[in-house]
Amino acid sequence: MSPLLVIVLRTLAGLGLLLLNGVVLIYMLRKVLAHLHLRIGPNRVGPWGVFQTSMDVVKLLTKEDFRPATADKWLFRLAPLLIFVPSFMAYLVIGFSPTWHFANLDTGVLFVFAVLSFVPIGIMMAGWASNSKWSLIGGMRAAGQQIAYEVPLLLSVLGVVMLAGSLDLKVIVESQAGLWLGFLPKWFILPQFLGFWLFAIAALAESNQTPFDMSEAESELVTGFANEYSGMRFGFMFLAEFSNLFVSCAVGTTLFFGGWLLPGLEHNAVALALGPIVFMVKVYLGIFCMMWIRGTLPRIRIDQMLSFAWKALIPLSLAWVVIFAVILKAVRA
Amino acid sequence: MTDDRLRVTSEGPIVAEGRREPLLLPRGLRRVPRGVDELATEHLIVNMGPQHPSTHGVLHILLELDGETVMAAEASLGYLHRGIEKLAESRRHHQVGTLLDRADYVSGIHTELAYAMAVERLMEIEVPEKAQWLRTLMAEINRIASHVLFVGTFGMDTGSMPTFLYTMREREALVDILEAVTGSRMMFNYVRPGGVTGDLPGGIIEKLETFLSTVDTYLDEYDVLLTDNEIFGPRTKGVGVIDRTTAIAFGMTGAPLRATGMDWDVRKVRPYAAYAQLDFDVPLGSQGDCFDRYVVKTAEIRQSLEMIRQLIAGVPEGEYTAKVPRVLRPPAGEVYTAVESPRGELGIHLVSDGSDLPYRMRLRSPAYYNLAVVDEALAGGLIADAVVTLGSLDIVLGEIDR
Amino acid sequence: MIWGLGFFRAMGVTMRNMFRPTMTVQYPDEHLVIPERARWALAHKFDESGAPKCTACLICERECPDHIIHMTVSGDAASGKHIDEYRYELGACMMCGLCVAACPFDAIEMSHEYELATPDPDKLIRILLRDVDAASGKRAKEVAPVAAREAGAPGEPGAPSADGRGDGDA
Repeated sequence: MSPLLVIVLRTLAGLGLLLLNGVVLIYMLRKVLAHLHLRIGPNRVGPWGVFQTSMDVVKLLTKEDFRPATADKWLFRLAPLLIFVPSFMAYLVIGFSPTWHFANLDTGVLFVFAVLSFVPIGIMMAGWASNSKWSLIGGMRAAGQQIAYEVPLLLSVLGVVMLAGSLDLKVIVESQAGLWLGFLPKWFILPQFLGFWLFAIAALAESNQTPFDMSEAESELVTGFANEYSGMRFGFMFLAEFSNLFVSCAVGTTLFFGGWLLPGLEHNAVALALGPIVFMVKVYLGIFCMMWIRGTLPRIRIDQMLSFAWKALIPLSLAWVVIFAVILKAVRA
Repeated sequence: MTDDRLRVTSEGPIVAEGRREPLLLPRGLRRVPRGVDELATEHLIVNMGPQHPSTHGVLHILLELDGETVMAAEASLGYLHRGIEKLAESRRHHQVGTLLDRADYVSGIHTELAYAMAVERLMEIEVPEKAQWLRTLMAEINRIASHVLFVGTFGMDTGSMPTFLYTMREREALVDILEAVTGSRMMFNYVRPGGVTGDLPGGIIEKLETFLSTVDTYLDEYDVLLTDNEIFGPRTKGVGVIDRTTAIAFGMTGAPLRATGMDWDVRKVRPYAAYAQLDFDVPLGSQGDCFDRYVVKTAEIRQSLEMIRQLIAGVPEGEYTAKVPRVLRPPAGEVYTAVESPRGELGIHLVSDGSDLPYRMRLRSPAYYNLAVVDEALAGGLIADAVVTLGSLDIVLGEIDR
Repeated sequence: MIWGLGFFRAMGVTMRNMFRPTMTVQYPDEHLVIPERARWALAHKFDESGAPKCTACLICERECPDHIIHMTVSGDAASGKHIDEYRYELGACMMCGLCVAACPFDAIEMSHEYELATPDPDKLIRILLRDVDAASGKRAKEVAPVAAREAGAPGEPGAPSADGRGDGDA
């Protein structure tokens, strides 16, 4: 097959995965939140309401695509792309199994976080270009929040990189193979317990999930930065939010929970063939936990959130990196 | 030059082709900070508009923002004005209840009760004991329903979604009981001058007992979800502090006043209905912040549950209403009666000229006076604090705008 | 208390609620049970022969706070009243029940019909009685709407009943 065809097919597969994920995750969010809140959620469109999201997508596609007259013409159109495309690009390096990945980069970890740091630019752009004061407030909040929480996100990952000795996501997963004491999997969550919590909190904040969803606080700003968007432009940003969720959980699974590995069966051919399924199960469990948190906790105020990031999380993660480096050197010496 | 104070957009009114007058802002709000020359940064004037998910009705608040900090705030009312007091001048006394149900739509029994007491005081009607008992029982059920709605919406204001749905479960049980007794879930039309419209149907006491046996677990769950939560605490503690002097100066009553430490509950100070025979405490706060207002209300829910237990323990005998003429003609005079509604002291000032229509009925709505403090209480906080403070005052626009 | 424990307790509460039955009543497949006293659309009562019990005394028309009952009556008490039309503006009715409470002959009731939504505004004005003879009330006496209940059986013509309905329902 010509390399160009391979690239095109992989891109389409990635897009397909992103869209499918979006559809499944939106449905899952509505059902999970509903059952946590003693409700039922969608159950009319299709058996158990499974076609609800697809119909919602059709609805979004058929809506009038308008732009407020005073909104900045080009920035208004560019913002949803800047939110959506980096999210799509991050799918490239996620490894579902030793052979299933879109592109195996040597610097996978760096690539994912570098690409995801475009999202705050897009959000700020959306907030500014809407030319509406409430959207502006939402955009500015997102800017402060997401930039602040990128630092602990990266620092918490450094410990994993130190343990694995590489930025390549495939190598990181493979170095989590094996068992300790015969029954504990060698997943990085055990040595990196604090790092995992730092990563989890920072990932929640980066994906704008409750308790860190001040920039789209429903009871204050309706949809925050996306106030003036409708139709598929809004659909893009909405989809990007869920695909960010998937990417965060996928990266978290890869870094801390052994990716596609089943404990004890690392070299079993059948287990490796089932790798993608194992991976997706782990990721969806993580997403379920995020939705559970979303349906439970109140929202942290923006200044409390920022002071928590700058005064608590960043010093903590810096200290953790240093301490862990010292411990690792001592253990390996 | 027109005084366009009501049109608050970024620019002022158009006076000529392509030219706009500078905006005349309501008192207290400036686009350029006070005492600073024209080269300084502007403050944003934002409409926390009539349409907003968390202003508890069609409330319009203008905020002058410096970044996220609120420098000044002004409430702009009237979006739900329906002329209730004027309409009351053309309704006979037993029909006025239908209007008053719709004033404070969350606590209809209390508003009807205040009016019925006003007419009874003018006509010197003696209400039988059973009727007083029924009135008190329904009033306390309505109080719990209203407070539980407050807990849910206040949680929602801080972002806690589950509390809202769980409190709706409690409210469903109570509203079902209210519907079984009065005939309607919200517009009760139950308390009339002389008594009430009907006795309890069969099975209500059992429904109440079922409710009472399960509600304590649920109240503890709300404590876990909100009161003891590490996120809710910093959101509400120290936020929207109103000290006692300010509260009394503005005429605040109800939970916001008791949260400042002032012991004033109309049920204790001027007992009415059957409250003199009930044994209950009045919970007080100390700091006057949003957290104290919330805690006072949850404590009041528990006190109301106690009162209901005492009430159903001893059901009196008797008639559910006194004999009153079909057309009520109170003698000329005026009277002011007050009840403790879930929002505070709700008063009816009734002026009668001896005919079958009230000459003037004025509703002293507690939420109106509680809301008046918002101009001062919001300044200095963030927008998020503004939302939380508004939510903690437990306002209902229906009675504010009437 | 350790800082952070509250999060886990809160999540425990929501997880516990996940396993409780949902509150939803899936209308139109399931219906809530309406209590006996619930007030919905106004309806007339008929006696055993199918004739309406209404005597065209016009008390309900006067009692309605919003004046949504309009009766066109011909004839008089001597020759027998004839109800040409009993017009009821369903769309404006607030279902307060004052008309039912005032009726001395227990001829109307607030029915339990609540599925009243319609896309056709003309259906919001109902003609409840058309071209029928009014019943002859034995005693067209003004009675108090909140008079004390007498020992008579409910529904007897002339027996004053406070809410136009039977005794406190068991």
